Amino acid sequence: MHYPWWYVPIINAPMLIAIVATLHVWVAFYAVGGGMILAYETSIAHRENNINYLEYLHSHTHFFVLITIVYGAITGVGIWWTIALASPLATQTLIHIFIFGWGMEYVFFLLEIVSAFIFYYYWNRLDPRTHTMIGWIYGISAWISLVIITGITAFQLNSGGWELSDGFWTALFNPQTIPQIIARTGGSLLLASLYIYLHASITLKNEPERRNHLIHRSVRWVMSGTILIVIGGILWFIYLPEQGKAALEAASALNVMAALVTAGTLLMIVMTYFGPYKNPGWVTPGFAIILFLGGLANVTTGEFIREAVRKPYIIDNLVLGHQIFKAQIPQLQQSGYLDGGVWTRHYVKSVAPEITTSGGNVDSKLFANLNSEQRITLGKTLFMYHCNNCHASERGVSSLTSLTRGWTDEMIKMSIVQMDKFHYFMPPWSGTEEEAGLLREYLSSITLPSPTHKENNSDRIQQVIK
Amino acid sequence: MNEYPLTPIDPMGLPASVEFLIFFKTLGFVLHMIPMNIWYIGVLLSTICISFGKGHFRTVGIRLISVMPILLALGINFGILPLLFTQVLFYPQYYTAGILIAVPWFSVIVLLLFAYYGVYLYAHQVKKGSITLLGYGTGWMSSVIFLIIGFMFTNNFSLMTNPTEWMNIFSRTTIAGAVSGIALNLGDPTLFPRYLLMIGIAITTTAVWIVVDARFSRVQQSTDYCKYVNKFSSTLYTIGLIWMFGSGSWYILGALSDQIFNQAMQTSWVKIIFGLAGFSAIVPWLWLIVKSNFESPSSVWVIVCLQLIVIVSNAISRQWVQIAEIERFMPLSRDPVNWQWSPLIVFLVLFISSLFVIAWMVRRIVKLPPQRTTPV
Repeated sequence: MHYPWWYVPIINAPMLIAIVATLHVWVAFYAVGGGMILAYETSIAHRENNINYLEYLHSHTHFFVLITIVYGAITGVGIWWTIALASPLATQTLIHIFIFGWGMEYVFFLLEIVSAFIFYYYWNRLDPRTHTMIGWIYGISAWISLVIITGITAFQLNSGGWELSDGFWTALFNPQTIPQIIARTGGSLLLASLYIYLHASITLKNEPERRNHLIHRSVRWVMSGTILIVIGGILWFIYLPEQGKAALEAASALNVMAALVTAGTLLMIVMTYFGPYKNPGWVTPGFAIILFLGGLANVTTGEFIREAVRKPYIIDNLVLGHQIFKAQIPQLQQSGYLDGGVWTRHYVKSVAPEITTSGGNVDSKLFANLNSEQRITLGKTLFMYHCNNCHASERGVSSLTSLTRGWTDEMIKMSIVQMDKFHYFMPPWSGTEEEAGLLREYLSSITLPSPTHKENNSDRIQQVIK
Repeated sequence: MNEYPLTPIDPMGLPASVEFLIFFKTLGFVLHMIPMNIWYIGVLLSTICISFGKGHFRTVGIRLISVMPILLALGINFGILPLLFTQVLFYPQYYTAGILIAVPWFSVIVLLLFAYYGVYLYAHQVKKGSITLLGYGTGWMSSVIFLIIGFMFTNNFSLMTNPTEWMNIFSRTTIAGAVSGIALNLGDPTLFPRYLLMIGIAITTTAVWIVVDARFSRVQQSTDYCKYVNKFSSTLYTIGLIWMFGSGSWYILGALSDQIFNQAMQTSWVKIIFGLAGFSAIVPWLWLIVKSNFESPSSVWVIVCLQLIVIVSNAISRQWVQIAEIERFMPLSRDPVNWQWSPLIVFLVLFISSLFVIAWMVRRIVKLPPQRTTPV
């Protein structure tokens, strides 16, 4: 409401954030875990003067640079782009709190890029000690950038009752920071190992001895990654805010996903034990692809759960899902949601000047002056700004046409004004009683009759009885 | 001043003074501009040279494309800093403008991904010495995409300072008070001259880069090639200079509002910066012509410094105009300042330390003996 709302049909604008973030995380984890593994393995290979192994690591670094520096960097910037478009108020808030945190991250990105290029392009030209040091500069920088960004995203999940006067460091080191750093470090090591399996199974297809040596070595990263994920996951659950725990227990979709992640992780441990650890020869391209896709699926599901349990907030206790500050709600319930936003106010003035006061405010008490077309239009405006963050209108993600199917006007009205009571993961209604009426009229105009209790169904039954 | 829908003040306040944030925004923009200018015209120039050229003309293209993957990585990274400080300082303008043209603005990311991988593929094939039709195709594709991306950026950043156009776009694209995001800032008179001016600066910077590369490249270049490069760069710079004068005159005399122009002319330091931005490119151009062979490294450093003045003066004057345009409808003093001292100090310490670490890494590679390869 403080910014114009970008209407994206069917999937809703915030879904773009999820898509871009998922595409980024698949590679960002590799950028961190792969960097640490490459630095460590290169130092070992240099120490043992293992030319064969160094040759493989060189070829893997080429693959690594191509994936992480290009794709990883652009999708990372892509998240910035998308959050600014689809969630501007939360982005504005985060940037005001964490500007220097992001500045620090920028510094480490810079170190990552320079060190990665030197590490790769000057392979065989730098002396082993310098080469190893530059590898570690990359690995450590990448991990610190993970620490910083995790602190920021963890703050979104559990701000720990943060207030404006608490400042930057309290926000960065919130109750969720350490658990998520542990889990994400584990995820990075695990996923990076799967990238190594995939790469090695294809590039060393005809060199079983070298491939098996490498795959066997990588098992330690899978195992240590898994242990960190489990520890981080438990701590993550312990430090979840109350509404997050409740959502995790109550939402069936999240139950299924949590079960899938657990089963998927167990399956991967079993596959890694019997495959790469006991029988490295099993790691054919097919086997590696299955492991890799399983890893991506696990990471995606885990990240989805992490995001989903944040509702109704985008930033815990500060910014709600419908792009307003929590602190604004009492005022908006008094003066009206349409009046509270600069763009909604501007729009109302253009389509229904009769409800705008001389001071430019929208007065809910004047809604009686609106004709039915204006009422539906303004109801749709309320839908756009209050609901479209999560719900599509007639068709698409969590569409309200489907969700309200067969509901009476009374039920719709009740679900609007009491939405946070019916579903604790939804924000409170943030407008006046009259505005709830407008939204109700719009929703009633798009809802469909129940597929099982339609009037014509009973007619049909009567016909059959006759 | 409040006739436009302007986001209310953020309760956090600014994390540092406006001057500090503007300094870092401008510094970051200058750092971003250098590699960005080179890839912006460099990829296109390289594709032209390789597609249609022979001999040294073709070699210029080969040398240009060989460094592009690194310059792209650095340029994109350097772009983060000005973007961060833009969002803190100008959040009501930046987010609003982006959302109003959301579809083309979002497409920048997708386009950039294609362009970047296109450059990698093209550079790889050029390095191998066997360019397929796909290679040429990706070279041309990347060149065109970079030009489109530049146009999108000019759209967003000119729209930021033009709230009248916000209202026009909003009225045209609204869906029940939300927006479709399918729009561009085409109604803004400053759009095209600003875009063309950026291209002009990019041409001149690329010309200087070609000289620098020929002289300082670790790959040994033949004397004959170096002589050719000097002539080539002089010609390229001349084109860039004429382009800059043409688009700059259009911008200043035909598009920039009289109010802003008069305001600039009333402040002496701004007058100097405007003068430098408009005319400083004459000096490196003359240097290129006078120093027809850059035998001593110091003569190369001179032209680098002169071009840096062109870039910095343009960045500062651009920044001044942006502030002046925004202050017409939102005073920058609107937001209170709540200094975040300790993270600021940590950021500065890390920033400076990272420069030392980078200097150490670069020193290690500069110390290496030159890699002798066949002259390209």
